[in-house]
Amino acid sequence: MVDALVLRDVRKSYGQREAVHGVSLTVKEGEVFGLIGHNGAGKTTMLRMISTILKITSGTIEVYGKDVAKESDAVRSMISYLPEDAGAYKDMTGRKYLTFIANFFASGAEKEAMVQKGIELADLGDRIDSRIDTYSKGMTRRLLIARAIMSSPKLAILDEVTSGLDVINAFEIREVIRQIADSGVTIVMSSHNMFEVDMVCDRVGMVDQGNLIDVGTPAELKEKYGKETLEEVFVAAVKGA
Amino acid sequence: MTDLTNIVRKEVKELLTPGSVASVLVMVVLFACLGNIIGGEVEKSTALPIIGVANYEDETIDTVSGEWNAYEALKNIYRKSVPPEDLDKYIIPMNKDTIYEDLTASGANFALILDDNFKENIESEKRGLIDIIYVYQPSGMINGTVSSTIGPLIVSSLNSDLSSMIIGSETEKEHVKFLTTPIDGSTSITYIKGEPHKDVTPSDISSKLTSQTMFIPIIIMIIIMMVGSIVISSMGSEKENKTLETLLTLPIKRTTIVTGKIIAAATVGLIFGLAYMLGMSFYLTSITSMGSTAEHAVDLNELGLGLGLADYALIAVSMFLAIACALGICMILGAFAKNYKSAQTMTMPLSILAIIPMFITMFAGWYGANILIKAVLFIIPFSHPMMATEALMNGDLTLVLAGIAYMAIFALGSILITVRLYKSDILITGLGQNKYIEMLKSRGRRSKH
Repeated sequence: MVDALVLRDVRKSYGQREAVHGVSLTVKEGEVFGLIGHNGAGKTTMLRMISTILKITSGTIEVYGKDVAKESDAVRSMISYLPEDAGAYKDMTGRKYLTFIANFFASGAEKEAMVQKGIELADLGDRIDSRIDTYSKGMTRRLLIARAIMSSPKLAILDEVTSGLDVINAFEIREVIRQIADSGVTIVMSSHNMFEVDMVCDRVGMVDQGNLIDVGTPAELKEKYGKETLEEVFVAAVKGA
Repeated sequence: MTDLTNIVRKEVKELLTPGSVASVLVMVVLFACLGNIIGGEVEKSTALPIIGVANYEDETIDTVSGEWNAYEALKNIYRKSVPPEDLDKYIIPMNKDTIYEDLTASGANFALILDDNFKENIESEKRGLIDIIYVYQPSGMINGTVSSTIGPLIVSSLNSDLSSMIIGSETEKEHVKFLTTPIDGSTSITYIKGEPHKDVTPSDISSKLTSQTMFIPIIIMIIIMMVGSIVISSMGSEKENKTLETLLTLPIKRTTIVTGKIIAAATVGLIFGLAYMLGMSFYLTSITSMGSTAEHAVDLNELGLGLGLADYALIAVSMFLAIACALGICMILGAFAKNYKSAQTMTMPLSILAIIPMFITMFAGWYGANILIKAVLFIIPFSHPMMATEALMNGDLTLVLAGIAYMAIFALGSILITVRLYKSDILITGLGQNKYIEMLKSRGRRSKH
C-alpha cells in the first residue's frame, strides 16, 4: 500500500520552546489515522505543518512523496484541511461558498459537478441556499466537511471535527467521515474524544507534550496496555499507570 | 475564472454589504444637507439687509446741492438693487423710543438712529452722530458676522452721499478728493513665477488656491482611513472565523491572496472615496462661496497656476500609490490582528499617519513648513498626493516626482513584506508564538534569574 503521509523526525520550535519533539509516523493510503491528546499536546501544530501553513523547524513531511516544505503548492493540490472551530464566509449562502471553493479547483462542467457533490455531502436540503450565518453549528460543520471533501483530496486533515457538536450531529458527522474513508480518501484527524477515535480510526497516535508516545490500532493499544477503553489506554500511556 | 478574480469577487462582495453602502450614502447625504444649510445661510447673509431708521423726520439738512434726508438717502442707495415698490420692505421707519420692539417685530438686521442734534451739528460743520442698533440673536457664525459688518458700510455710504451734497460742484469734489487722498495706491502688481500680474494680490491667490485645494487632504485622509479599515477588518474577520487557515491550504499562491485582497480593498475604497468626494464637493461649494469677491475674480489659469492634463495624471498616480502604500501597511498590521475586534484597534497608527499630513498641508503646507516638518511630511507617504496639487500649481515637479518615486518604493517594500508574512507562521500563530518574541521572552526570564 502507498504511503500517503510520512513524518520523519519532525520538530517545531517557537524560539527556545519546542512544541513538537521529533515525531515520526507513516499513514497508509485509505487509512483513517487519529491523533489523540489533551489540549496543547501538539496535535494542531502537527496538522498545521502537514497542511503547509506552519513551517517545519527540522525533519521532513511528505504527502504522497511530495515534500511539504519544498513542494507546498503540489501538496496543497492534494490535501484538504478543516481547522478546529472553522467557519465559512457568513454573508454567502452554502451553495455560493461551495462554488467559491470549487472555483480554485476546476471550471465549467467539472466545477458544477464538484459543487453538486458538495451539496449532496452537506445534505442541507433547501437550506443550502440560505445564508451561512443562519446555520446551526452542526449545519456549518456539515458544509465545511463537504467543502473539504468535494474536491476529492487524496488526504483530508480534520482537526477536532466534532468538537462542540451535540450527540446527534457528532454521530452524523462520524458517519460522513466513515463514508469518505470508504471512498478511498486518506484521513488524518485529531480529537479529544477517545470514543470517537475508537469508532472511526483504523490506527491511533497518542500525543503528549509534543511527543508521539505510541501508535497502533485501537485493538492493539488496548491489548498492549491491558485496558478496556482507549481513554484508559491514553491515561495509562501518559501517566504510566 | 482565475484564482485572482475569484478572490477579488469574494472580497468585494464581502466589503460592499448593504450596511457599509448605506453608511456611506448617509454620509454623502449628510454632507450634501450640510452644504445646503450652509449655502442657505450664506445666501441669507449676502442678501440686502433690512434697515430700520429712526429720528430722521426733523433732521433734513439743507445743502448747496439741495435737501438731504437719511431715510431718502438710504432708499437711494437701495434703488440700484431693489425695485421702487419694494423699497419700503428694506428701509423701515422706526421709533427711537421703541427701537427694540420695532427691530424684533420687523426682523430688520439693524437700525440707524440719528442724534437729536444731527441736523444742527452738520449745519454748523460738526460731525453728526448716528447710532447703529443691533439685536443679538443666536444666528450662527455666518449671519452674525455679516450683519455687523454691513452696518458701518451703510453709514459709510451715507457719509459719501452727504459729503458730495455738501461739497456741491464736481470741481470741488475732485479738489476735496485730492486733499483727502493725494496718493492713489489702488493698483497692485504681483510677480508670479517671475511674471508681473496687475490687480491681484498674494492673498487673493492664496484664498483662491485654498478654496480649490483645501478639500484634497481631507478626502485623501478619508480614503486612506477607509481603505485601511476595510483591509484590516477583513483580515481580522478571516482570522476570527478561521477562513484564512482554509484559504492558505487551498491550491493558490500567497501572492494571489495578497493581490486579490489589495485589489478588492482598493476598488471598494475608491468607490467609497468617490462617494465621499461627491458629498464633500456639495459641502465645499457652499463653504467656498463664503469667500471674498476678489478671490473669485482670480483666474488661476491666467496667472499660470492652473493645472493641465499631465498634472492631473501625476496627481492620480500619486493618489494611487498612496492608496497602495496604505494597503501595504494595513496588510502588515492586519497580519498581526487576532480577530475582528483587535483589528479595529490596529487602524490607529494608520489614522495618525493620515491625519498628521492632512493638518500640516491644510494649515502650513509644504512651502510654509520648516525643515523638520518637511522631513516628517516627506517620510509619511500619504502626504505626497495632499501636497501634489499645490506643488504642481507652483511648478515644483521635482517634489511631485520624488514623492511618486518614494511611494513606489514604499508600496513595493510593504507588499513584499506582506507576502513574506503570509508565508510565515505569524499569520497563524500571531506574535505570541513568534520565534523572535519567544527568544526575547526567554532572555528576559534569564536576566531576571
